[in-house]
Amino acid sequence: MDMNFTADSSLAPSRWRKVAYGGMQPGYDDNHTDETFLEDMVMNANVVKRNMLKVMQDSVSISQYLCIVFLVVLVWIYTLRSTLNENSLLLLDISLLGSGFIILVLTEEMLSLKRLWNYILNVSFFTTGLFVLAPIYQTLTRSISSDSIWAVTISLLLLHLFLHDYSGSTIRPSGALKNPNLTSCISLNASIVASVFIASRLPSRVHVFATMLFSLQIFLFAPLVTYCIKKYSFRLHLLFSLGLMAVTLTFVYSLHCLLFVLLVGILIFVNVVCPYWLIRIQEYKFEINGPWDEAKLCFDITD
Amino acid sequence: MADLKHRILMVSDFFYPNFGGVENHIYYLSQCLLKLGHKVVVLTHAYGNRSGVRYMTGGLKVYYVPWRPFLMQNTFPTIYGTFPIIRTILLREKISLVHGHQAFSTLCHETLMHARTMGYKVVFTDHSLYGFADVGSIHMNKVLQFTLADVTRAICVSHTSKENTVLRSGLPPEKVFVIPNAVDTAMFKPAQQRLGRDEIVIVVISRLVYRKGADLLVEVIPEVCRLYPNVRFIVGGDGPKRVRLEEMREKHSLQDRVEMLGAVPHASVRSVLISGHIFLNSSLTEAFCIAILEAASCGLLTVSTRVGGVPEVLPDDMIVLAEPDPSDMVHAIRKAISILPNIDPQVMHDRMKRLYNWNDVAERTEIVYNRALKCSDQSLLERLSRYAIECFP
Repeated sequence: MDMNFTADSSLAPSRWRKVAYGGMQPGYDDNHTDETFLEDMVMNANVVKRNMLKVMQDSVSISQYLCIVFLVVLVWIYTLRSTLNENSLLLLDISLLGSGFIILVLTEEMLSLKRLWNYILNVSFFTTGLFVLAPIYQTLTRSISSDSIWAVTISLLLLHLFLHDYSGSTIRPSGALKNPNLTSCISLNASIVASVFIASRLPSRVHVFATMLFSLQIFLFAPLVTYCIKKYSFRLHLLFSLGLMAVTLTFVYSLHCLLFVLLVGILIFVNVVCPYWLIRIQEYKFEINGPWDEAKLCFDITD
Repeated sequence: MADLKHRILMVSDFFYPNFGGVENHIYYLSQCLLKLGHKVVVLTHAYGNRSGVRYMTGGLKVYYVPWRPFLMQNTFPTIYGTFPIIRTILLREKISLVHGHQAFSTLCHETLMHARTMGYKVVFTDHSLYGFADVGSIHMNKVLQFTLADVTRAICVSHTSKENTVLRSGLPPEKVFVIPNAVDTAMFKPAQQRLGRDEIVIVVISRLVYRKGADLLVEVIPEVCRLYPNVRFIVGGDGPKRVRLEEMREKHSLQDRVEMLGAVPHASVRSVLISGHIFLNSSLTEAFCIAILEAASCGLLTVSTRVGGVPEVLPDDMIVLAEPDPSDMVHAIRKAISILPNIDPQVMHDRMKRLYNWNDVAERTEIVYNRALKCSDQSLLERLSRYAIECFP
């Protein structure tokens, strides 16, 4: 069956058209590649051009959280060695709670008495619950050897650092933008289990309560507080992080020299090496978009 | 046209008794090639009890090799396990050329690799579009790169599909031919009696899955029913999104205006199509939509989303295109309803007979086979170096 598409065929072949109907286009082979081939391809449309300074500033959030975790571990070590006794720990807890509250109140845009009352109520429930459960935690791991405890705690803390959501906070004030995703919930749980394990090695109930309160306060509320500071003023966030890093470095130096070197190495890696590396490998990014892509629905599917 | 008659082995995991675009394509292409005098053998995996050698219309020999499909009708990939039976079939049938279909078919990839090892010339047809960004696509593209590093010629079903295949596999564009699918116009004839115009019927036949835009339908149907009181919908097909459509029907009380038929067997598709005036296709991605051809052959005016290869399929006066956005689709339906009086189903059907024809597809495929067979043989070292260049740049 012949497929003459143009009835009056002129001497010059008709222009090639990007159509599938009508059979073979006269004068052109099926493998004819026109100049319009790949004309609609768009490369690297959604790729953000990064600036070294900005990436370094953004990486400060990561090193700030790393320092916070290091400080928590330090406090644990001091408590386990009985360098820090339970009363000073309790004092530390209360002062941290208080300062956290003040920062939240100062940096929150919409301050309302109802919200404040909500916070206070939640925190008191939480503290009371911990106090009541402290005896359970004390005897929880009595049958497990200390070495296993240290090993499990360190792996859980590493997991926590790996999966942590550094851009925001898992616990958000009501009216938060993003729901917490699976990995941030896993990391939070890992840190809580690690604190329970450490607390169970302590001698008395008050010790356990104080340490648990301290660890849980930090792990649950520190991301929220730092997120509020960052939202309020970036400069304040940078100053706070640098101060925190300095404090951590000082304490770690007085504890153990090798840990100090390790911490310095990690901080340099996170703040300097990684941003540089990221910008270098961004040149290889090759994102292809075109008419062959699956269309994205512009509305949300509410099931 | 060369007078050489070839002996072709068509390979794919997807064949009768499964129904779909690839299966139809292989069947009709094989029938037309048989009519042209070539010998065609089809290789696929066993479907349930259907195992062994079967003969279909026109003497088409089909080998249903007794392997178990493991995922979406694909044979379990055992890279060397398939070699003995493939070698037996290739030698026994004295095959001269192997033609594989569909990038998603593991059997196709393995057969092409073994056929190349034995020195046969190989042609590959790609029927779908893939992205580049998600994990599944990245793996699929790597496998495709491996297979296509060594293929003699490739065929794509639309120009958009050619661009996509060239980008995914790194083939030089001159090696890729564009030969579209066609439609069996003898089977899809318009209704004897022209339908009345007082009530406009819009037909939707597709699998009700995310990819085929079932969510767009959920947004579009209530809006159209609200704007046009004389419009009725017929929705055929089944799938996970059917529940959402039923919910939409309940929520807007459209039970008398939206008819849900459930899964429509292939033999009854024509009778569903001829009961309507307009065919609505809302898929989010489509390399080449055969459903649109079937609808046009039955004399329906098509409204479709402008995705993939759809703009190339029909001339502009037989299709109204819209962006995959509910408001734009409603707008397109309004335009279709307004141009409906100018549409004559019989005229459209006759036009389709001229625009698409399986015999034409078979002739063009024959040209590709002739070109492929003229290519020079390659030694093993050349072949290995091709793999190295393509897959490890």
